[in-house]
Amino acid sequence: MRQQTKQMIEQLLSFIIYRGSTGKDFQELALTLFSYQFEHNLPYKKYCQKRRKTPLTVKHWQEIPAMPIQAFKELPLACESTRTPEAVFLTSGTTNAEKRGQNIHPALAVWDGSMMTAFKQFVLPEQQTAAIYVLSPAEDLNQHSSLSRYLTNAVKHFGTEDSRFFFKEKGLDMEALTTALKVKESRREPVLLMGASSAYVHFIDYCTERDLTFHLAEGSRIFDTGGFKRQSRELSREELYESFSRVFDVGPNSFINMYGMTELSSQIYEVTAQSPRFEKVNPDWVKTLVLDPETLRPVKAGEVGVLAHYDLANWNSCMAVLTEDMGFETENGFVLLGRVEGSEARGCSIAVDELMRANGK
Amino acid sequence: MRNEQQEIEAYFIPDTIQLTSFTTRELESKQGKLILKYPVLSGEDIQCITETIKANQKNYLDKLQTTEVIDLVDAAVQKWLDPDYHWRQLAETWLPVITGYDAEMIRLELKRFLRTFRKKELLRFLVEEFDDPAVLDDFRPRKKGGLSKAYGPDLILHFFSGNVPGLPVWNLVMGLLVKSGQLGKTSSSEPLLPVLFAKSLEEVDPELAKTLAVLPWKGGEDQLEHPAIQAAEAVVAYGSSESVENIRKGVPAHKRFLSYGHKISFAMVGKEALTLDLCRESVHSLAEDVSVYDQQGCVSPQIIYVEQGGSVSPREFAQLLANEMDHYNRKKPRGPLLESEALAIQSFRSQHEFQIESSVYGHPDDTSWTVVYHPEPDFEPSPLNRTVHVFSCTHLEQVYPKLSSYRQYLQTAGVAVGPDRLFKLSEDLGKAGVSRVCAVGKMAQAPSGWHHDGQFNLLNLIRWTDIETSAEQHAEQYDEDSE
Repeated sequence: MRQQTKQMIEQLLSFIIYRGSTGKDFQELALTLFSYQFEHNLPYKKYCQKRRKTPLTVKHWQEIPAMPIQAFKELPLACESTRTPEAVFLTSGTTNAEKRGQNIHPALAVWDGSMMTAFKQFVLPEQQTAAIYVLSPAEDLNQHSSLSRYLTNAVKHFGTEDSRFFFKEKGLDMEALTTALKVKESRREPVLLMGASSAYVHFIDYCTERDLTFHLAEGSRIFDTGGFKRQSRELSREELYESFSRVFDVGPNSFINMYGMTELSSQIYEVTAQSPRFEKVNPDWVKTLVLDPETLRPVKAGEVGVLAHYDLANWNSCMAVLTEDMGFETENGFVLLGRVEGSEARGCSIAVDELMRANGK
Repeated sequence: MRNEQQEIEAYFIPDTIQLTSFTTRELESKQGKLILKYPVLSGEDIQCITETIKANQKNYLDKLQTTEVIDLVDAAVQKWLDPDYHWRQLAETWLPVITGYDAEMIRLELKRFLRTFRKKELLRFLVEEFDDPAVLDDFRPRKKGGLSKAYGPDLILHFFSGNVPGLPVWNLVMGLLVKSGQLGKTSSSEPLLPVLFAKSLEEVDPELAKTLAVLPWKGGEDQLEHPAIQAAEAVVAYGSSESVENIRKGVPAHKRFLSYGHKISFAMVGKEALTLDLCRESVHSLAEDVSVYDQQGCVSPQIIYVEQGGSVSPREFAQLLANEMDHYNRKKPRGPLLESEALAIQSFRSQHEFQIESSVYGHPDDTSWTVVYHPEPDFEPSPLNRTVHVFSCTHLEQVYPKLSSYRQYLQTAGVAVGPDRLFKLSEDLGKAGVSRVCAVGKMAQAPSGWHHDGQFNLLNLIRWTDIETSAEQHAEQYDEDSE
C-alpha cells in the first residue's frame, strides 16, 4: 500500500471517528480525496476528463463527477490494486446475475470505522450494547455481502452475549426465532431485530399463517434494510411498518431503516424516533445531492431528482456515486422515492423492458 | 397570436345525445388558455351512444355509395390542407402543448400525414385491397361465377394510440371506407385530433358525423368497456402487448379483434451507400427517421446496421450521425421527458460508456440525443426519445441470426443498398419477420394502403356474403316468364 494511501486513510479515519467536523472540513477532505482518486483510479480519471473535470477545475465538492453505478459492474474501480483485498463486496445481481457490481476494499478499517460510528449514532444513541437477533446471513455465510459484514460487526461490537444469528445454511430458522422472541417477551427484555426487509416479509407471513404475535418489551427496535429485490412480495414502507406493529406490538418510534449500497462504504439511516417520517439522514462524512435526470445538475431545493451520494469512506473506488434512485431533499436529509422502473413508453415503439421480457432476459 | 381563453370538448358524439356531467383539464401556453371538457361517462351513456350510432349507420351511412363516402372524406381532408383552417390552427397550437412534441415538427408531419387521405390516395387504398371496390356497395360478379358483397362491421370499437398525432384519423377513415359506425376511445396522451377530425366531417356532412363517437376514458374501465365491446362487431386495439392482451380478454371469441402491438424497426446501410458523397444523404435521412416524433412511432429505427468496406467506416458513420442528430435537435428540439425517461437514457449511456467495446456520442449537457457505436452486430432496443444504436458489421447478412428471437416484434427496415441486393435482402428480412422494407428517410412515412404490420387493413375488417352459381341457376327455375 502506497504511503499516500496510508495518509489518506489516516485523515479519513480521524474525520469519521473523531469528528467535531464542520462543512469546511468535508469540503477540504472531499477535494483531497478527489485528487487522490483522480490520480490513481484510471477509469474514473477518464470519466472525469471526458467531462472536463480535473482537480484543477473542480473547486467545490458538488462539482466532483459522480460515477454511475453501472461502472461498478463493468470496470475495476480501484486506487490501490492488491491481489489480496480484505474484502470484495458484490451487489446482489438481481437485475442481471451475470453482471454484478463490485466494490473492492484493500483494507476495511475505514469501512468498519464508518459503520460503527454511524451505528452508534443512529441505532444505539443511548446505550452501549443490545440483545441483537439477526434474520439475515452473517459474514461467514456470505463473504461478498456488505450487509453480512455489517450485521456481523453489529453483533461483534454492540451485541450482548445472548445476541444470535437465526439465518443458517438452510435459511431463516423461523421456529428458533419464534422461541427466542417468546423468551425475550416473557422476561420483558428488549431486543434489537436486524435483517433485510425481505427476510421480515417471510417471517411476517410465517407468523400470520400461524396466528403468531409477539409483545416485545419496551425499548425493542426493528431494524430493516434494503428493498425486496423480488426476493419476497413487495410492501410499501407504510405497510411494512404496519406489519411490524401488528406482529411485534412495537410503537411507531421503534423502527430503523438503513439505506446502504455495495457501491458505497457508509450507510444512511431513517430513524422514526429521531426524524420526520421517511426522512433519511446521512452521517457527517456523507452528503447527498439531488440531480436533474435530464442534465445531471442539482435541482432546486425540494424538487425530485436522481440521487448522487458523496461518501468520504469510499476511498478506494469513487467517493461520488450516481445512483438510479429518485428522491428529494428535506431539512436534515432526503426522502427516498425508490428506483424508477422503466415507465411504459408513450409510443407504439417497443420499450426495452417489454423486449427483454420477451427474450427471457 | 391571440391571447385568449378557449373551451373545447375532448369528445365527439352524435348531436342528438346530451351528456350531463363533465370535468375539465386546463392547458396554458404563450397563446393563452385552452380548457378541454371531458365527459364523465356511465355504462348507460355508452349503451345509448352505441345504439344511436348503429341506427344512424343503418339508416344513412350503409346506404351511401363508397365513392360518395370518399368524396365526403376528401372534402374534410381538403379543409385540413388549408393552413388557415380553424381546426388545423387549433391543432397546431395545442398539440405541441398536449404532446410535448416540437411545434414545427408537428406542423410538418401533420400536413404530410393528412395528404395521404385525399381522394386519389383513398381510391388507390381501396384498389390495393379490393379488385373491385364496388363490392362494398353491391353484389358483384366473380370471375369463377357467383356474386359477392363485402359488409363492414355495423360498429367498430377503436382503442386509439396516443404516440403519433393523427394516427387515429387513419383508423377513422378506414372505418368510413367500409361504411361502419365507429366509437373511438382516445389515449390520454393525445385526446384532441380525432375529435377535431370528427368535427370536420360534421361540417361536411352532419348526417355522416352522426355515425361517429370519440370518447376519452381511462383504459381498463370495465363498466364502460364492457358495454362498448358488447355493442361492437369489431374491436381494433393499439398498445403494448400487455394492454392489448387485457382488451382481448374482454372480447368474445366470435367478434373480430384486430390488434397492433408494440413493434421495433431498424435500418441497414450497405457499403455501396458509404461513399463520401452518398453517405451524407443517408446520414441526414436517418437522423430524421430517428428523431421524428421523438422515436415514439413503431416505424422509427432504434438500431442502424452499417456495413464495413465503404469509404466511410461504421464508426465514422456513427459520428456523422451524431452531428446530424444535433443539427436536427437545434431545428426541432426534442420534447420534455418524464424523469424516468431521462434517467433511462442516462443509465443507457453509462452502461455503454463503461463497456470497452462501445462508444457513446451524446449531447454533452442533456439527454436530447444519443448515438451508441458498437464494433460487433447485435440486436438491442434503445430507450427511445432520440437514442439509437449503430452496429458495425462485416456484411449486412451477418445480422439475420441476431433478429431471430425478435420475430414477432419486427416491423420496418429502412435500407440503403444497391439494386442488386435489394431483393435478396428483402427476401431474407421478410423471412426474419420484417413487414416493411423502405428507403432510409422514409421510415416514418408509411404510404396509404401499406400492409400495416404485414396485414390487410380493410379486408380484415369486412365479412363477405357470396351468392353461389347454384343459387343463381336455381333461381332461374322460378322465373315464370322463362321459356
